[in-house]
Amino acid sequence: MAGSEPMPALIEVDGLSASYGRVAALKPMHLRVEDGEFVTVLGPNGAGKTTLLRAISRLIASRGRIRFKGRDITALPTHHLAKLGIVMVQEGRGLFGEMTVYENLLLGAYGLGHDGEKIERRFEQVFQLFPKLRERASQVAASMSGGEQQMLAVGRALMAEPKLLMLDEPSLGLAPKVAEGILDTLGELNRKGLGILLVEQKAPLALKLARRVYVLSSGSVRAELPAHEIKSHYDLARFYFH
Amino acid sequence: MPSSVELIQSLVNGVGIGLVYGLIAIGFCVIYNASGIVNFAQGVFVMLGGMFAYSFLVQIKLPLAVAAAISIALVAAIGVLVQILVIRPMWQRKAPMFAIILATLAVQLLIEQIIILTFGDQPRTYPEFTGGGPLKIGDIAIDYQLFWILSCGALMVGLLTLFFNKTRIGRALRACSQNREAAALLGIPVGGMLMLSFALSAALGAVAGILITPTQYTSYSVGGPFGVNGFIAAIIGGFGSAPAALAGGILLGVVQSAAIVLFGAGYKNVIALTVLLIVLLFFPRGLFGGLAKRA
Repeated sequence: MAGSEPMPALIEVDGLSASYGRVAALKPMHLRVEDGEFVTVLGPNGAGKTTLLRAISRLIASRGRIRFKGRDITALPTHHLAKLGIVMVQEGRGLFGEMTVYENLLLGAYGLGHDGEKIERRFEQVFQLFPKLRERASQVAASMSGGEQQMLAVGRALMAEPKLLMLDEPSLGLAPKVAEGILDTLGELNRKGLGILLVEQKAPLALKLARRVYVLSSGSVRAELPAHEIKSHYDLARFYFH
Repeated sequence: MPSSVELIQSLVNGVGIGLVYGLIAIGFCVIYNASGIVNFAQGVFVMLGGMFAYSFLVQIKLPLAVAAAISIALVAAIGVLVQILVIRPMWQRKAPMFAIILATLAVQLLIEQIIILTFGDQPRTYPEFTGGGPLKIGDIAIDYQLFWILSCGALMVGLLTLFFNKTRIGRALRACSQNREAAALLGIPVGGMLMLSFALSAALGAVAGILITPTQYTSYSVGGPFGVNGFIAAIIGGFGSAPAALAGGILLGVVQSAAIVLFGAGYKNVIALTVLLIVLLFFPRGLFGGLAKRA
């Protein structure tokens, strides 16, 4: 029957693997994020979480297939992804530290071309989410606090009008309250329909919002389960909550 | 001991040649900031600018503006070719930076040889853009060409500052210089930006070559010295913004000219390199390194 075909996932990786020299950082893995879903990838240091996001973003060479809304994007270079709606916030934020907040945000909208009205609307939306960025618009990014820089990193990614936002440990180096504030904002964005793939080490924060969780270890997916089940899983609970 | 007139005259001459060094230095900075590559073929773009302008002006007898425009466009195209044929393949194969820099030196030698085979090894020059000079202020003589160099230099710096700060592409180039991965993640085509930086920097070199040739000469071998002096100017300026690079160039030009008057032409480079060493000892990031980061 027509229409009974399952909707393609927002993003789906199939047999994705990557290595640094002879060291396999990511063993062939499968992962999907549905449209509007909040998925968290948990794992200890060296589990392959960052490699996974870098492979999806085409920042490193990888094997396997990547599909976005059913379209094979494996061969696309990194700079094509933002136009499709795939945007990544790097670990360490990846800001243009010598440029102002305004310039950083404007560069976030690079893929929107010269559509001034659209860019203005994005500015307003980002400033509503992070009013501090409006106050600091003319400040050089490197001179802001860690929390403000993280707001800018997320705000800049939102300027690109993403459909899938990938974040690599956004809570790293932040005070717990600041990190919680950032994650609350991500939750709000997700409720408005933004798909999110979050990589985190701090499980309690990340699990608060996620619908599904992938647990990575030594470059492989060890578990894939609904977020509410993870706390009852003995091994994972022992690893992450004690 | 030189007279005060001689000293002032040497300062005026130094400003002229220094502005040219400054333009070459800006070319170094544009590529370096976009890619981390020090392009030692930069001086050859200066030589090509002068050579092409000579051909179009003297041999084909085109008007100055047309000859200059075609020369700049041709040299920019050669810059793009260098990027496509040499830099890009090495970049994509993740060649070490020192290998890429060495390749730019090889490009310089190769182009010099091509020029010897096609244009010959004789020096060439053409008349100053405005005849009837020099302008006399007391005992000081100022070539009209110096005003051309001054105004074109100021125009270039103004346009580049506007370009880097006020245009979408200019900001994207600056973004690439600070974090190439983050730039690519935002949809900025980093490879295209690198190509643009070569075109821009070659065009700047050509402008410098077209401006300076009437005051001296051009030949296949002038690229090396111009490249070295432009590189020194870029380091003195802090390898950052266009105004800082230009200031580095003017300082170097003035010091060299003063050295010629005070100690003789043989000491020109000794003094220039001593100044470089002093700057590096006390200001390892260049005189305007801190400022340049924000410009």
